[in-house]
Amino acid sequence: MSLPTVADPLEPAGATVGSGPPEEATRRSVGADLFRSVIHNKKALVGLGLLLFFVVLAAIPGQIAPDNPRAKIYPPGLGPSIHHLFGTTAYGEDVFSQLVFGTRQSLLIALLVGGLATVIAVVVGVSAGYLGGTTDGILSLVTDVILVIPIFPLIIVIAAYEKNSGLFTLVVVLGVLGWSYGARQLRSQTLSLRTRDFLEAARVRGERKSYVIVHEILPTMTSLILASFLGAAVYAVLFAAGLQFIGLGDPNSQSWGTMLYWAENNEALGAGMPYWAIMPGVCIALLGAAFALMNYAFDEVSSPALRLRKLERQGVDAEGAEVVQARPADPRNILEVRNLSVAYASEHGPVVAVDDVSFELAKGEFLGVVGESACGKSTLVYAIARLLGAPLAGEITNGQVLFKGQDMVALSDKQLRHIRWRDYSVVMQSAMNALNPVLTVAAQMRDACEAHSTMTKRQIEERSREVLRLVSIDPVHLHSYPHQLSGGMRQRAMIAMALLFTPELIVMDEPTSALDVVGQRSLMVQIKELQEQLGFAVIFVTHDMSLVRHFSDRLLVMYAAQVAELGRTRQLFEKPLHPYTHGLLEAFPSIHGAKERLLGIPGSPPDLLRPPAGCRFAPRCPHAFARCEAERPQLLEVDGELVRCFLHEPATVEEPAKEGVA
Amino acid sequence: MSEPLLRVEGLTRHFRVGKLLGRQKLHAVDDVSFELEPGEIVALVGESGSGKSTIARLLARVYKPTSGEIYFDGRPVSNLRTRRQRLAYASDVAMVFQDPYSSINPAYRVTHPIERGIVLHRRDVGRRKREAEVERSLAEVGLLPAARVAAKFPHELSGGQRQRVGFASALAVKPKLIVADEPVSMLDVSIRIGVLNLMTELREREGVSFLYITHDVASARYVADRVLVLYAGHLVEEGPAEDVIQRPKHPYTQLLLSAVPDPRAELGISDSADVGEPPKVIDPQPGCRFRARCPYAIGECETVTPPLREIGPRRLVACHVAERDEAPTAAVG
Repeated sequence: MSLPTVADPLEPAGATVGSGPPEEATRRSVGADLFRSVIHNKKALVGLGLLLFFVVLAAIPGQIAPDNPRAKIYPPGLGPSIHHLFGTTAYGEDVFSQLVFGTRQSLLIALLVGGLATVIAVVVGVSAGYLGGTTDGILSLVTDVILVIPIFPLIIVIAAYEKNSGLFTLVVVLGVLGWSYGARQLRSQTLSLRTRDFLEAARVRGERKSYVIVHEILPTMTSLILASFLGAAVYAVLFAAGLQFIGLGDPNSQSWGTMLYWAENNEALGAGMPYWAIMPGVCIALLGAAFALMNYAFDEVSSPALRLRKLERQGVDAEGAEVVQARPADPRNILEVRNLSVAYASEHGPVVAVDDVSFELAKGEFLGVVGESACGKSTLVYAIARLLGAPLAGEITNGQVLFKGQDMVALSDKQLRHIRWRDYSVVMQSAMNALNPVLTVAAQMRDACEAHSTMTKRQIEERSREVLRLVSIDPVHLHSYPHQLSGGMRQRAMIAMALLFTPELIVMDEPTSALDVVGQRSLMVQIKELQEQLGFAVIFVTHDMSLVRHFSDRLLVMYAAQVAELGRTRQLFEKPLHPYTHGLLEAFPSIHGAKERLLGIPGSPPDLLRPPAGCRFAPRCPHAFARCEAERPQLLEVDGELVRCFLHEPATVEEPAKEGVA
Repeated sequence: MSEPLLRVEGLTRHFRVGKLLGRQKLHAVDDVSFELEPGEIVALVGESGSGKSTIARLLARVYKPTSGEIYFDGRPVSNLRTRRQRLAYASDVAMVFQDPYSSINPAYRVTHPIERGIVLHRRDVGRRKREAEVERSLAEVGLLPAARVAAKFPHELSGGQRQRVGFASALAVKPKLIVADEPVSMLDVSIRIGVLNLMTELREREGVSFLYITHDVASARYVADRVLVLYAGHLVEEGPAEDVIQRPKHPYTQLLLSAVPDPRAELGISDSADVGEPPKVIDPQPGCRFRARCPYAIGECETVTPPLREIGPRRLVACHVAERDEAPTAAVG
């Protein structure tokens, strides 16, 4: 029996967040989408082909088989020949004809049991998951009991009572015992759906419970229901054959299992007639394989991660990527990023998420990396910290990351472990996900210290208290578990852990975004104070420019995987050069000054699979002119800052663009 | 004065927390009262855990109040008995959700919630006219060309576009009030303003009122006529948006405003002093819930819960020490 993994049908397959709507507007249905994915899947095609073959056999056995399977008209025990493809039975029947006629029952059992088990699984699983409470308690208990019942002995007992049990009994018994696995999966999927807003939206709209279950929940679980059906079908084929083999079916019925029963009774192997047993066995295996292959295929269709194993390197080369020169790093810089490009594998080809990014970070400097979702800012810092896991999570395709003069891209994992945490550390967006929930803060700090240093227990304890005090957490919380700390304290604890070895660089990926405004502000002030006190450099990723306004020395503005603008923070706020930066600054209201109507930036960022041919911001830019759509702007140096915009080329500075941008 | 569109009186919602036998109660919303006039946009401002989303769900009848009453058009909401009455209320009060990525069913085209709203609440719109009506709703929220957008699945739209679908679904039932629960907080900065502008446009064009729930004071000032400030389940300050934001009287409102990152202002160093967070209110004793963080707390704050009291025209504050709201010229400090 194949066990389908619980796929999340709600994650759009390889969709780029924030991508604009694709051009074609043909009305497609979900079914058509599924069908198309299946057509492109080899496993599904082979499985479907096999199934189709058996369906034809089952539908018109009379036209295919040469003989009546019951006609005992030939000499018994003949070997294979042109007249009798797999020989004859001990009673003089044609084995091939029996195989063909036996298909119908096996297939029927598979489909009926699959259907029955799936219906029960859906009803029980979805009701348990959606209704919750006592209903869930009772249904889950029943499911679990059925799941642990040793099915085979039970079926033997039941079948023994129903001697010569027909097809109907077999289907009911197998169906009633075979739904529990699917029900558990459907229940957990329903549970995870229950918190989705669209179900609450349906209730607020005034829908009945029955409508919500049938029309809102079930359609999102199509692939899981299919998987449950196919899994049950495989199980039915195997179990039915097994039961008939040990003589618990009707020995006069025409099926593969019955053929096995007679083969065993007539000592096929002793009689030197292996075909009696092998051929039905092969048929059972093939039918099982057909269902299993389709099952795997649906899994793959619903979770693309299983399909994308290797990032295709062709066509990944970033725009304008130069050959990286072997120039030594400036000793004043803690970090130099040169022509760094990162690509992700996606269903529709590679996506360049970081495109030829270069910058330098001086010792003790605070650099803000700003941009919208999916602009590549997080990928950039993950690449720098060498935290990407290829290929779905992105792979560095070009460039160098010189940390203290050493190229991090070329380092092995072992070498990285020496400098990670000691020389640079990373603070993640969500402390709740980054901290281990079952270990105390002290235990996690101890783990880090033991992995990266030779400190004694005493020293570790002392250092842990010290870093907690640094981030204004009372050391009594050292032995607290993460859930006992408030959101703000968890983020502070994360920063404390990053400070254990007083690194020279701390990379922070939106560390304040889970906090409220007040907590956000006080954490920012704290980070800045620590930085001034301890002298480490910071790369701070955020979607909110105003948050880093008073804290960062320089700002790197990213748009659609590229550097749009890089400059000193104060200058960038006072005189933004790129129209995108300008738009960001004007995009949100203030609590000071006169209340004025704002317009934001119309449109949305481009799909990185198909970036615009010219400037990537051109479709949303109020100053765009013909050249912007046709040519790719390079980074220009203007007043010691870098900007990717034609408006600032010496030749075009005089043009009308002037008044709007400054 | 005539009856307001929405009147909330002593609204309270407690949740049982802790173990099976533990009888602890989390006071998510405690004794909250406010009114909302037809055509008004009121912002309900508070941090996470302040109870603002609970109030949204109480208004949408997802939760039942522990005590207190909601009056809509003068009629008590707890009196809705029949399905017909409940449907009528669902048609009057629509909701827009925070997360545009999970508020539309991925298995259907984006028009599904709009269509369902029309089927449920506008029986007069026949099957044939429905499609045109759906496209009109899409066009109303600026999703153009509507026929083309109607063919999309949710994952084919950006976050901002999906949030507009959320507003279109709310509008399709012809509501009098839309409760918008943090509708822009998960959107990119560059497109938030478009959604905020949409709210004011819809108010002007359709006459629909909004309860705009947010943690972001600056956006509240931008769209709202009045602001309600919520702290740990209590309403602590209320008044015309401009008055509250320019002259906050409750120490919490003052703290909240001082923390708003503002690139145009210089950094005040005193801002860093507060490292506290809103408390989880479990089985509370009387007293001001902000007292532990309050720089002005006096003895009375420990024992007496400050009631909302009037400190100026349409200005209310729940604080023992707050002064009267003076004329604008004198108050700015």
